[in-house]
Amino acid sequence: MKRPPMLMHLRFNTGDKKIGLWLPLFLLMPLALVVLIILSPLILIAILVLWPSGWGKLALMVLTAAWGLFCSIRGLQVDFQSHNEWVYISVV
Amino acid sequence: MTENQKKILEMLSQNKISAEDAYRLLNVIDAEEGKPESTVRVEPEIKTKPKYLRVTVLPNAEHEGATNADRVNVRVPMSLIRAGIKLTSLIPSDAMDKVNDALRDKGINFDVRSIKSEDIEELVEALGDLQVDVESGREKVKVFVE
Repeated sequence: MKRPPMLMHLRFNTGDKKIGLWLPLFLLMPLALVVLIILSPLILIAILVLWPSGWGKLALMVLTAAWGLFCSIRGLQVDFQSHNEWVYISVV
Repeated sequence: MTENQKKILEMLSQNKISAEDAYRLLNVIDAEEGKPESTVRVEPEIKTKPKYLRVTVLPNAEHEGATNADRVNVRVPMSLIRAGIKLTSLIPSDAMDKVNDALRDKGINFDVRSIKSEDIEELVEALGDLQVDVESGREKVKVFVE
């Protein structure tokens, strides 16, 4: 199983403003898990209701694909510099 | 070709040893037998799987005003590209037909439904040899895989 990203480093410089952030994604994961557990009965009911029409299977595949996509962004780096502005995003 | 060299090549053909080991053993035999290195050795190409797709846009130092040019450095993990291609399987069939029609209008006769996971791996492996260098005016654009 792929490991989800742990940290996101953001840096923005728009001339007069400089922002630097380290987002601890590993702390957001337990929160997201709690929310998912709370909403899981509703999600399950929705999938079961939509299953005969085929949308339930699609919803389940979307959830797994979204998780796969989230885990795949580890290593993404975007560095853009233009005159006095720069944007840096790194996912670790 | 000596007996020892023949034996090594036989073992390689029977997959008893890897290409790397065969190359090392052949070199050892050459050194022991004191042969000059006149024979051509093809080094085994160890192709590592591409991990990232890199796109860089850097100022062209030879051009005036290049210091003010934009700089871009993007590194995209291959796993993200694979996951993105796999998302095509989630497109509903109605939308898939529209996508195919739009591609056909642009002259691309390709069915998006025909993309399979084996094709994705083949595509990613083929990207390992990708290298694009564009030099125009103030900027140099490079697309490569590492």
